[in-house]
Amino acid sequence: MMTRHLSEGELVDLALGATGKDREHAAGCASCSFRLEELQQGLALARKADVPEPSPLYWDALRRNVSRRIAEEPRPLANWGRLLPLVAAAAALLAIALSGGHALRQLRHVSAPVLPSWSALPPEEDDPGLVVLEGLARTEGELTAWEEGRGLGAFLADLSEADELALADGLRTGTEEGDL
Amino acid sequence: MTGQAIALPIGLAAKAAVPDAAPPSREAEREAVAACQRGEREAFDRLVVRYQRDVYRLCFRYVNNHEDANDLAQEAFLKAWRAIGRFRGDSAFSTWLYRIAVNACLNFRALRRPALQELPEGIPDRAPGPAADLEAADAAREVRAGVGRLPDRQRATLILKVYHDLTHEEVAAALGSTVGTVKANLFHALGNLRRLLALEGETR
Repeated sequence: MMTRHLSEGELVDLALGATGKDREHAAGCASCSFRLEELQQGLALARKADVPEPSPLYWDALRRNVSRRIAEEPRPLANWGRLLPLVAAAAALLAIALSGGHALRQLRHVSAPVLPSWSALPPEEDDPGLVVLEGLARTEGELTAWEEGRGLGAFLADLSEADELALADGLRTGTEEGDL
Repeated sequence: MTGQAIALPIGLAAKAAVPDAAPPSREAEREAVAACQRGEREAFDRLVVRYQRDVYRLCFRYVNNHEDANDLAQEAFLKAWRAIGRFRGDSAFSTWLYRIAVNACLNFRALRRPALQELPEGIPDRAPGPAADLEAADAAREVRAGVGRLPDRQRATLILKVYHDLTHEEVAAALGSTVGTVKANLFHALGNLRRLLALEGETR
């Protein structure tokens, strides 16, 4: 046997037609029964408030008005969540374009894979990196000093544009002379 | 049968175009929303046709006159179009749309306070018995006026729950509330409405 009175929420559920032990309680409890009756009276009153039906022609006018006003609007903003990857990619491309490729070189530097201590690199004599080293040698100290132990990849990635041009000249000269 | 169109009196023809078509399936509605998000106005037009009656009636219950209800219904649809890109489908489109309409109504009321004083949250229960002897039309008008004087949250809850038959969960979603609060607001809305109408019946 339930000893407490029904809560507002439980009374609302009963007024809206719920069945079960709460209804049994309300039937046997004067206080809850009275409150439920009041609630049902309020509901019955509320349901009397019908909205006057506009002219049947009104609906078409409403639709047309909404349609006309929407036609004057810009397209709705797309779901930014869905577009975010595209926007990010576009921004990255724009940044690379504006930096003249410097950003891409930076990126390459940052994401350069770390080689394991063992490696399936080609034999030293076939290593195209040697060509670059030869080209470097031909720059005859024009380039920024190469710190020992930094690695060729890191060194090349950090070259300034002037150094890149000097290196390219060195390589071109070597090729023309048949040394490379 | 020649396929010739049957001429209907203008009232009936218009009625035939009244937007009480069978509700679209959830899937069809999702597709319509997706089309709207791609900027297809025709898809939104279909949603307007489907929901314009519900939205208009919701707005009417707030403002209690056709002109303002018409303005608010249009405003609600316009806002929905502008925001459709942000609709993620967490709730039914109708619930989302009702929320926009309710907010439009609340903003409207905030800007244009009605001449009638809003009912305080709690009023004394001085007289029992509804105004059952009123003529139906008068009663409806009285009740609409009474609903219009309820505090905002109570009124919104009553309108969505009683007149639009939303579930407690849908009302909670539309109002950014909880089921418990919805039930409490409905409880007080019905009690206040009954007491308010009884009071007005006394003063007549």
